[in-house]
Amino acid sequence: MTFFFIFPVFHTLRLSFLDSNTGVFTLNNYFAFFAKDIFYDSFFRTLKMSFFVIFFSVILAFPLAYFICFVVKKKFRTLALLILVAPFWTSFTIRAFSWQLILSDKGLVTWFVNKVTGYEIKLNFLYSMNASIFGLTLFGVMLITLLLFNSMITIDKRLLEANSDLGGNKFTEIKNIILPLSLPGLIIGTVLTFIIAVGDYAVPTLLGGGFKPVLAQLMLSTIKGTFDLNTAATMAILLVIVIIIACIPLLSLIKQIRFEK
Amino acid sequence: MKNFSLLNNFLYILFATIVSLIYLPILVMIVFSFNSSKYQIMPFRSFTTTWYQRVITDSQYIEGLSNSLIVSISVSLFATLLAFFCAYSLVNSNFKGKSFLNIFFLTPLVVPLILIGISLRFYLSSKGYEPSLFLVAIGQSIFVMPLAILNLSNRMSQIPKNLEEAAWSLGSSRLRSMFEIILPSCKFSLIATFILTFTFAFDEFIIAYFLTNFSITLPIKIWTSLVTGFDPAINAIGTIVFLTSLTLGIISQLLFLKK
Repeated sequence: MTFFFIFPVFHTLRLSFLDSNTGVFTLNNYFAFFAKDIFYDSFFRTLKMSFFVIFFSVILAFPLAYFICFVVKKKFRTLALLILVAPFWTSFTIRAFSWQLILSDKGLVTWFVNKVTGYEIKLNFLYSMNASIFGLTLFGVMLITLLLFNSMITIDKRLLEANSDLGGNKFTEIKNIILPLSLPGLIIGTVLTFIIAVGDYAVPTLLGGGFKPVLAQLMLSTIKGTFDLNTAATMAILLVIVIIIACIPLLSLIKQIRFEK
Repeated sequence: MKNFSLLNNFLYILFATIVSLIYLPILVMIVFSFNSSKYQIMPFRSFTTTWYQRVITDSQYIEGLSNSLIVSISVSLFATLLAFFCAYSLVNSNFKGKSFLNIFFLTPLVVPLILIGISLRFYLSSKGYEPSLFLVAIGQSIFVMPLAILNLSNRMSQIPKNLEEAAWSLGSSRLRSMFEIILPSCKFSLIATFILTFTFAFDEFIIAYFLTNFSITLPIKIWTSLVTGFDPAINAIGTIVFLTSLTLGIISQLLFLKK
C-alpha cells in the first residue's frame, strides 16, 4: 500500500513543483494554472458542478431514505433498497451513454414528444453542465440513500412514538430526531458523492461535452495531448487539496464519536 | 391524518420517479441491443441478435473480455487474501497507532480513481515501468482493498473472541486457530468479498485507462468505441455485463446476509 499509494502521491506532489523544461523547483506551475483562463474556469466549474450535485442528491436522497426506512413495510424494505442500488453494478459509462441517446436532440425524449403532441421540440440539454449534474446526481442519490438508510435504520422507534405522544408532529419528528441521528450517514454520503463528482471523467465527457471541460477532462487531455506531466500533476494536487478540504466534515464526525464514548 | 397520507403519496411518487430514472437508461440499452437499425434513433426497426453475434465473433471484444477477466480475477483474489490478513490484525490485536492504520487503510476510498491512476502512472513510469495489465492490476487492487477490508473486518468483529482463546488455551498455535476457526466462519464473507471486488474491478475504467497501453480491458474497449463513432454492439455487451454483474451482485448480497 505504502509503495503503490503513498509514494505515487508524493511523487505527483514533487512533479507539480518542478519546471517542465529545466526541472528546478518552482511554484510557477501553480501561478500558470491560475493565470490561464481555461484552467481557472474549469477549476471553478468543477467545484460549482460538484456543489450542485451534492445539493440535489441530498434533497432527493433524504426523503427516499426516509421512505424506505419508515413508510415501506418491513417485508419489502430490503427489496426497495435493492431496487434502488442494483444499478451500481452496471457500467457507469454505458449508463451515461444511454442518457446521451435519451436526451440528445434526436433522442428518445424529442421523438416521444413529437409522436404524442406533434410538436418538434429542441431540448438543448445534452452537452451542458446541467446534463453532467443530472447524470452525477442520479449516482449520488443512490449512494447517499444507501448510507442514510444505514443510519436511519438504527434509530430507536420508541423515540418516534415519544415524539407523537408528547404532541409533536411530522416536522418536529424529522427536525429533532431523524435529522440529528442520521447525520453521520448524511455527512459520509455527501463527502463521498462530492469526491466522486469532483474527480469523475466519464459523465462530464459523455453528457457535459468537451467544450467546457472539468478538471478531470483537462488533466487527461494534458497528459495524452501535450505530455506536460508537470501541469497535469499541478491539477492533480489541486484536486487533492479540494478533497482534503472536503474531508474536514469527516474529521468532525470522528471527534464527535470519541466524545460520545 | 390527512396530511400524513399526502406526504406518503408524495414519497411513493418520488421513489417511483427516481427508480424509473435510474432504470430508464438500462432499459434503453437492452431494447436497443435487439434493434436492427445501425443508428441509435427511434423508431425501433426489427428484432435482431446480430449485435450479440458480433460481440462473440469480434476478436477485439474477446481480447478485452479475457484481459478484463484475468486482471479482475487476480485483483479480487489478491485483494481478498490480503484484506483477510489486514482485517484479522485490525480486529484481533491492539497496538499503538491502530486507529491511524485503520484510517490509512480506508483513505483510497476518498481518493478519486483518476488520481490513483495518474499518480501511479507518474510514479511507475519514473521508475521505468512500462504501462501494462500488471500495473492495472496493482492500481485496481488499491481501489478495491478498502471495500474488502471493511467487509471482512465487519464479519470478523462478530466472531466471539473466546472461541479463539479457547483454542489457544488448548494448545493450538495462532496460525492454526486462524485457519480452523476464523477462516471457516468467514467463508461466506470471503466469497462475497471476492465477488464484490471482482465486479468493481471488472467495471473499472479510468485507472485501467492510465495504466495500460496496448493490451486493453473491456471497459477501455467500450469507451473507445463510444468516443470514436458508435457501434451498436456496445448495447449488447452492456446488456451482457449488466446481467452478469447483477446476478453476481445479488449472490454476494445474499451471502452477506447468510454470513
